[in-house]
Amino acid sequence: MKNIKNLKEFSTSADRFEGANLLCPGCAHSIIVREVLNATNDDLVLSASTGCLEVCTAVYPYTSWDASWIHIGFENGSTAVAGAETMYKALKKKGRLKQPERTPKFVSFAGDGASYDIGFQWISGCMERGHNIMHIVLDNEVYANTGGQRSSSTPIGSSATTSPEGKKSYGEKINKKDMMTIMAAHGIPYAAQVSPNKWKDMVKKIQHGFAVEGPVFINAVSPCTTEWKFDPKDTMHIADLATDSLVFPLYEIINGQELNITYRPKNVVPVEEYLAAQGRFKHLFKDEYKYLIKEWQDRVDEKWAYLQRREEARV
Amino acid sequence: MAFDKMELKDIEVWDGNYAAAQAMRQAQVDVVAAYPITPSTPIVEGYAKFLADGYIEGEFVMVESEHAAMSACIGAAAAGGRVATATSSQGLALMSETLYQASGMRLPIVLNLVNRALASPLNVNGDHSDMYMIRDSGWIQFDAFCPQEAYDLNLIAFKVSEDHDIRLPAIVNQDGFMTSHTAQGVKTLSDDAAYGFVGEYKPMNDMLDFEHPVTHGVQTEEDWHFEHKARQHNDLMTKVMPKIQTVFKDFEKLTGRKYTPVEKYDMDDADVCVVCLGTSVETAREVATEMRAKGIKAGVIGLRVIRPFPFFEIAEALKNVKAIAALDRSSPNGAAGMLFNEIAGALFNTGTKALLSGFVYGLGGRDLTKAHLVALFNELQANADAGKVTTKLQQFIGVRGPKLAFL
Amino acid sequence: MAKKGWDEFEIGAMLRTFDGKIDNIAATQQEDRAYSQNSSYTASVADWRLIKPVFNKDYCIDCQFCWIYCPDVSIISRDKKLVGVDMDHCKGCGICVEVCPTNPKSLLMFPEQADEESVIANWPKKDEEEA
Repeated sequence: MKNIKNLKEFSTSADRFEGANLLCPGCAHSIIVREVLNATNDDLVLSASTGCLEVCTAVYPYTSWDASWIHIGFENGSTAVAGAETMYKALKKKGRLKQPERTPKFVSFAGDGASYDIGFQWISGCMERGHNIMHIVLDNEVYANTGGQRSSSTPIGSSATTSPEGKKSYGEKINKKDMMTIMAAHGIPYAAQVSPNKWKDMVKKIQHGFAVEGPVFINAVSPCTTEWKFDPKDTMHIADLATDSLVFPLYEIINGQELNITYRPKNVVPVEEYLAAQGRFKHLFKDEYKYLIKEWQDRVDEKWAYLQRREEARV
Repeated sequence: MAFDKMELKDIEVWDGNYAAAQAMRQAQVDVVAAYPITPSTPIVEGYAKFLADGYIEGEFVMVESEHAAMSACIGAAAAGGRVATATSSQGLALMSETLYQASGMRLPIVLNLVNRALASPLNVNGDHSDMYMIRDSGWIQFDAFCPQEAYDLNLIAFKVSEDHDIRLPAIVNQDGFMTSHTAQGVKTLSDDAAYGFVGEYKPMNDMLDFEHPVTHGVQTEEDWHFEHKARQHNDLMTKVMPKIQTVFKDFEKLTGRKYTPVEKYDMDDADVCVVCLGTSVETAREVATEMRAKGIKAGVIGLRVIRPFPFFEIAEALKNVKAIAALDRSSPNGAAGMLFNEIAGALFNTGTKALLSGFVYGLGGRDLTKAHLVALFNELQANADAGKVTTKLQQFIGVRGPKLAFL
Repeated sequence: MAKKGWDEFEIGAMLRTFDGKIDNIAATQQEDRAYSQNSSYTASVADWRLIKPVFNKDYCIDCQFCWIYCPDVSIISRDKKLVGVDMDHCKGCGICVEVCPTNPKSLLMFPEQADEESVIANWPKKDEEEA
């Protein structure tokens, strides 16, 4: 395993993801991708489902990927990489690998739309069958690539284009799907929630994910300057608010059972500050919708209490 | 050797499904990712049993849907190895998006398509609706009329599909139940001879070659898309048929069994001719021989290769025929049938005097009987004598109720 | 890149990142790699910028925050030391400035046309309030 003691050591990594792609300035997707790819020196076989990452990094005649990479469609990035992993096992058995001494890692990147919605079955199948792959959700809580339509990851009160706020509506009415619990329920060796601002936590989890045998599910919050409506320079600030307000708690689930909280903020920030920093929640600060902010805080508090109980009970 | 070989008899009694599974075993497929659906299920069950008994070294994954099956096959093919799977009907419809993706990415994959009707209403029996549904998907398409051909065409399909000048996925069609579940004598090749014919898999643009990373499945917008699609069509129109002919010749040298893209039966001096696919070809051949005894010069054409469509070969075979019947085993739902249209297209502009009429038959496993074909040949003769089509251009055969005829 | 005809590229819309073989990508820095013309590394998004970061090494403590949080692999760090900004690939998002912990910051945003030498010469002083 690549030894990364501190950020200075980490900075000696040779990136395998290139700039001059079509992602928005300030996009968190590429920050996450860089942290993940730099967490290992092993060879990589990657896939991306249709979405911002795929569409912006592989438009003919350019590719931003320095490792083998495949895109098939929207639902099936995870299955694509599972198919490649299966071929790797077959060729290994038959002695036909070109570089047999190498130990490649198989990673699938997909947005929340591709993972929580249209690709749900495909990911579930991969987790159930036990492929040695890692599926990473780049969660910007909407179908960002097509202009910000709601997904089952869109949180309550968020204004998305197909659940917009208006004179008679406060936006999304359905609570965000708890993908972590669902994926962990497959009994996979490792599931974890990560955020790009906590790079050490992310790298530790990615490395652990690469070290275990079997399917790994990673949920990464990806603050989206375009759809969450904040200034591109503030991406890491929003990520800080997300983790420090516990809206996006960082934890891991081992073997579908034991839950460990991996980040406890020294000063917990009120959820209202997280909401106030993003244009997609602006309307919640109107008098008639302010009660939703209190509901938000209650929900986050409840979830945090639940996570702590599970951590204590070791189930 | 990490797997056992099988000692086969010179002639085995296999149904079409088992014959396909045996061919897949002998080809030493690296990855099979599949999902069960009637009537193709026995192919993957047979393959699974071979694996459980130690006859297969490759990987076998039963995934959670047909779309996932083809998705996994695409990932495995891009990784760099021999890949195959099987499906029918609804499963094919579900994976239809991925078929276009596989061919667009120029990945060799062999799909055993056991032809079955498409819902609604739901039907598990054999017709060609699924075959027709994906005819524009960019896959090479073969048709097996019997279990022997299901076996032979699988071996041929791997060899054509994986060729570095071709690199296009291929379908081997066979009639659901009528071929897939009907056992017949199949002349076999030994494991060594079969694998020797197919050959070792030669990787190209393989993702598992870490010294040459590749990007597969890019996006192309209005400035590049047309060129990529045009290239694919060009290769299907110019490179595939010559390669198929070469592989057919190699197969004939090895086995004595000769295949041609357009299988002609008694066509040299035929006045009337039936063109069809699947098991109907053999029924039509029997009836044609009987019609000859009655003084009608009848012939039959079975399409061995559906895609690329043998445009000039079919026109050449039909040019001196007086009356042709195109039989379509799929409902065209508001138009003339696929075979009717494609034959008409091939014959137009040629100055031929042939008359062409179309028939829709056999949907959902409804039998095409010898009596049907006798009546059909008699009708064709009537057309030939009159110098014009004496009926409507499109007729339904074998459906209860008032006679259905259109156009 | 010139628009090729349908017969002038490899099949399957497949792209190769490098020219020829690459032995160990993770151990080879970008400047030592043989990128093909299909790698976006060889392209430039400099024209996306309205503002650009200017790096002042006098205040830099080589903490590497800007290196890790740059979405566009445009902060160049070698041997744990900040070298500069890759102006071909920088989109001008401004994250590097936000995460820079020094006072005054070692990276600041300026209009795209600003003259780097003169802005460095007139760099703002330490912010006493923040300190």
